[in-house]
Amino acid sequence: MKGSNFSYLLKQGLVSVWHNRLMSFAGFCILMVSLLLVGVSVLFALDIGIIIGNIEDTNEIVVFVYNETEESELSHISDVLNNYSYVDTVSYISPDQALEITRGSYGLDGIEELFDRMGESPLPHSYVVSLNDITKINEAAAAFARISGVEDVRAPYDFASFLISIRTTFTVIGSAVLLALIVVCLVIIYNTARTSVFARRMQISIMKHVGATNSFIKFPFFIEGMFIGIVAGVASWFLTKLAYESVVHLFMEDIQILEVLGLRNIIDFREITWYVLAANCLAGALIGAVGTVFSMGKHLKV
Amino acid sequence: MVELKNVDVHYKEGSVDALNNVNLRINDGEFVFIVGSSGAGKSTLLKLLTREKIPTSGRVFVNGYNLSNLKGNKIPKFRRSIGMIFQDFRLIPNLTVYENVAFVLRVTDRSSRFIRQRVPYVLNLVRLSDKARAFPSQLSGGEQQRVAIARAFASDPGLIIADEPTGNIDPELSYEIVELLKDINKCGTTVIMVTHEHDLVKYFGGRIISLRKGNIDFDDYIGGNNERQ
Repeated sequence: MKGSNFSYLLKQGLVSVWHNRLMSFAGFCILMVSLLLVGVSVLFALDIGIIIGNIEDTNEIVVFVYNETEESELSHISDVLNNYSYVDTVSYISPDQALEITRGSYGLDGIEELFDRMGESPLPHSYVVSLNDITKINEAAAAFARISGVEDVRAPYDFASFLISIRTTFTVIGSAVLLALIVVCLVIIYNTARTSVFARRMQISIMKHVGATNSFIKFPFFIEGMFIGIVAGVASWFLTKLAYESVVHLFMEDIQILEVLGLRNIIDFREITWYVLAANCLAGALIGAVGTVFSMGKHLKV
Repeated sequence: MVELKNVDVHYKEGSVDALNNVNLRINDGEFVFIVGSSGAGKSTLLKLLTREKIPTSGRVFVNGYNLSNLKGNKIPKFRRSIGMIFQDFRLIPNLTVYENVAFVLRVTDRSSRFIRQRVPYVLNLVRLSDKARAFPSQLSGGEQQRVAIARAFASDPGLIIADEPTGNIDPELSYEIVELLKDINKCGTTVIMVTHEHDLVKYFGGRIISLRKGNIDFDDYIGGNNERQ
C-alpha cells in the first residue's frame, strides 16, 4: 500500500465516523456503557478482595511454649516458625509482656492489685504468627503443634473457614458475573457493529467489484472502529472515575464502616487513573476495531 | 478476450441448468449486446464473467485469467482488469463524483499525480466536469450512470461489462448512454452490454447474443436501423 493510499484510507476511516454518525453514536454508547460496567465491576471486585484480605490479616495463630523452655530453644522455635512459606510474621511475646497484655485487656478497677501481687508472670512464652494465606490455617496449626517445645496452638479455625468460604463464593460468583457481563457486552457490541456494516454492505460490494482487496476495504472500517473505541474508552474512564469516587465517598463518610471493613486500604482512583484510562482506551480500540472488521466477513464474499 | 468452453451452471442438485453447455467467444475490441428474458441465464453469465460465481463444469477465460480455478487472492487483481456498470449505478453515496471515479484508481494503487490527471479527463469524456464536487444524490439518473461509466473506464480496462445500464434511466437518455459506451469501444475496449431493451439493440445493431433457458439461441450480427422508437 502506498503512503498516499494509507493517508487516504486513514482519512476515509475518520470521515466515515461522521458520515455514519447515527451508527457511530450507537456504537460509541454501547461501547462506553460496556466499558463502564466492566470497569466499575472490576474495581469493586478488587476492592472487595482487598477488604476480605484486610479481615484475613487480622487473624493470628498463637503458639504457646512450655514455661521451662530455654533461651536457645526459644530462638530455635522462632527460626522454625519463620521457615514456613505460609508464615508472614512471627512476634515473640515474653511472659511479662503477656501479663501486661492480659492486665490491659481486663482494665477493671480493683483487679490491678491482684496482678501486682503475682510478682513473676505465670504466663508462658508465646509466639503470635500471622499467615500470608489463610487457607493454610489448619496445616499451619498442625505443623506448629509438632514443633519440639510447643505446648499448645490456638487458632481461629471457625472464623478462618468462614472467611475462606466467603472468599471462594465471592471469587466464583464475581468471576461468573463479570464473565457474563463481558460476554453480553461483546455480543451487543458485535451486533451493533454488524448493523453498522450491514447498512454499508452496498459500499463494500462496490469496492469488491472494482477490485479492492479485503485489507483495503477493511482498513477504513478498522480505523473507524478504533476511533469510536478510543473515544468511548475516554468517556467510560471519566464516568468510571465519577461512579467509583462517588460510591467510595459515600462509605468514607461513615468512619465506623471505614474501620470495620478496612476501607482505608481500598484502591485510590487517583493512583490508578492513567492505568484505567489506558486499559479503557486499549480495550475500546481493540473491541471497536476487531468487532467491526469481524462483522464484515460475510459481505466480503462477493 | 472472453471465452466460455462447455460451461454448465446449476444452482441446486437436480435443478434446471442456469447455463447449459454454453460455448462463447468474444474477441478483443468487440461490442456485444446480450439479450434474453428473465431467467434466461444473463445474470448467471455476468456472474461468471466477474468471478462472482464459478461454473459447475467447463472453463471461463476473461482477459487471460482462467476464472474456473482463479484463487481468491487473485480476484481483486482480475477485477481491476475489467470495468463494471450496474443498472442501479452503485456509486458510493458519501463520496463526490470526483472521489467515486478516483476511488477505483486508488484501489489499483495509482499515484496521486496520475489520479489528478486521469479523473478530470474521464469526467470530461462523460461531460460531467462541472459536477465533480457533487454527491450522487444530487445528480439525475442519467448523470449517475455517466459517473458509473467514467468510473468503469477510469482504469482503462480491457473489458467493460454493463448490466442493464439503461434500466433505471429515461428512454431518451438510454441512447446517450449506449453512445458513450460505443465511444469507449472505439478506443479499443471490449464492451459487453446486457439489456432488455430490444429497441436499443435494433437501433445500434452489431453482435447480438440471445440467451434462452440457459442456452445461446442466437449469436450473430445485425445491422442497426438508427431509428429511435
